[in-house]
Amino acid sequence: MSGTRDVMVAGVGLAPFNLYDGQKGRPLKDYFDLGAESILKALDDADLGWGDIQAAFCGNVYGGTASGHQAIEKIGQTGIPIVNVENACSSGSSAFRLAYQMVGAGIYDVVLAAGFETLPKGLLKSTAWPEWQRIMGFNVQPAAYAMNTVRYMQETGATEEDISRVTVKNRKNGALNPNARFRKPVTLEEVMASRMIAQPLRLLHACPLADGGAAVILCSRDRLKKTDKPVTVAASILTSGTYGHVYGGGSVKKKTPDTVQISVEQAYEASGYGPEDMDVVQAYDTMASGELWELEKMGFCPKGEAPRLMREGYFDLGGKLPVNTDGGLMSRGHPLGATSLAQIIEIYRQIRDEAGQRQVPGAKIGLAHAMGAGPNSAVVILKR
Amino acid sequence: MESNRVPVRAGLWKEKAGPDGTPRLIGSECLDCEELFFPVQDSGICTFCQSRNLKETVFSRKGTIYSYTVVMQRPPVYYQGEVPYAIGFVELPEGIRIETLFVDCEFEDLRIGMEVEMVFRTLHTDTEGREVVTYMFRPVSAGGEGGPKA
Repeated sequence: MSGTRDVMVAGVGLAPFNLYDGQKGRPLKDYFDLGAESILKALDDADLGWGDIQAAFCGNVYGGTASGHQAIEKIGQTGIPIVNVENACSSGSSAFRLAYQMVGAGIYDVVLAAGFETLPKGLLKSTAWPEWQRIMGFNVQPAAYAMNTVRYMQETGATEEDISRVTVKNRKNGALNPNARFRKPVTLEEVMASRMIAQPLRLLHACPLADGGAAVILCSRDRLKKTDKPVTVAASILTSGTYGHVYGGGSVKKKTPDTVQISVEQAYEASGYGPEDMDVVQAYDTMASGELWELEKMGFCPKGEAPRLMREGYFDLGGKLPVNTDGGLMSRGHPLGATSLAQIIEIYRQIRDEAGQRQVPGAKIGLAHAMGAGPNSAVVILKR
Repeated sequence: MESNRVPVRAGLWKEKAGPDGTPRLIGSECLDCEELFFPVQDSGICTFCQSRNLKETVFSRKGTIYSYTVVMQRPPVYYQGEVPYAIGFVELPEGIRIETLFVDCEFEDLRIGMEVEMVFRTLHTDTEGREVVTYMFRPVSAGGEGGPKA
């Protein structure tokens, strides 16, 4: 956006991603509990009071009507506008973008973006497919990824081992993240031996489900309380539904550039940075293979090069460009409304030098990318 | 189609639409920008150029596999057939890719670029005892009896 003022990250908060189902000694919590928990942590982190928040955008998919109001009710309604944002897996970053625009445009000075979810169990139901396609068995999200993976392997020579290495890397990083659902590393052999879901993708190529909450408070520069190592939002972009890339519903012949390509180009242009400037990246790894081609689409390497670089440790912690330093969706798990805010929070912690054992030394600029059914592609760049 | 058989969805194909009198998948063609749609664009609007100038078009019954997968677990609720099952996209000579089930093949033999042809098969029997019929694709090398019957 041109002609707008700087937007700062005032503070962040996470309700650790896990299962909150009351089973096996786990606590029973609902999405609004997790939402409220993350919001309170973000307020503390920002050194702000609840009365400072002037508007709230809440990302959630399965909670139903006015889910954000339910979460905020746990803290106290104050009459501020609350807008609920359902944009599939990119709901959180879509809420973030609305908050960013409000502060950037000078409409409000302090705005909350929150995301939270308690998930239904098992395969996620998708409404993207019409009934006849569901009867024909097309409505399997991993199968859609599997078909793209088969093409990717054919076009680039990537192997099942290359795909499995994404899981191994991310689970290794996740072991260093106290907020991740899975904190135990896995070996290449374990990934390759896990149950096949949709060939060539296996159970450990798929991100696990989780419940969780995440909150980010954005503010104008003059309202920033925590003034050491200030973090600016360099870009917040959302691209939806480019032509010819919709899964389910039917077929067309023509294609325009896809959402990822458009959203990263816009983010690089808005921020004035390019892929070569990024110190740390959170990529979208709902399925392990997706991380490979999305790193390529975002310009971090030429097409077909990601598998080799992954093998050589280029994207590892300690590598040239660490990717999914908090373990990604693969370790965190995937509470739909919270996921993309958790990615942004990891970038914030990295560039503030607060990432502990998984810190990328000297990180100053980072990018978070989320996809969502629709499709949506959301890119956020933060800089210190 | 006999009375105890119903299509998975009306209007996906048309009886005797092929030059050899066999059924064919049908869709829409935009007369302004040549965009193609499968199934028929019920809205009557070309979603690429927003033209209303669409006409029905008949698709070839042979194409090549663009991509595929073998699904190893049962999807929620609707699909009643065997598991595992193979699905994928078939690229037709018209330049459009159709999502389909694959039959009459060993799934491990499926390859990108493999020549396939359309056939009709029963998916399952519904609660009223009717056979639910759909198009599927099979390798051309599978041979079998002549033209497909809906």
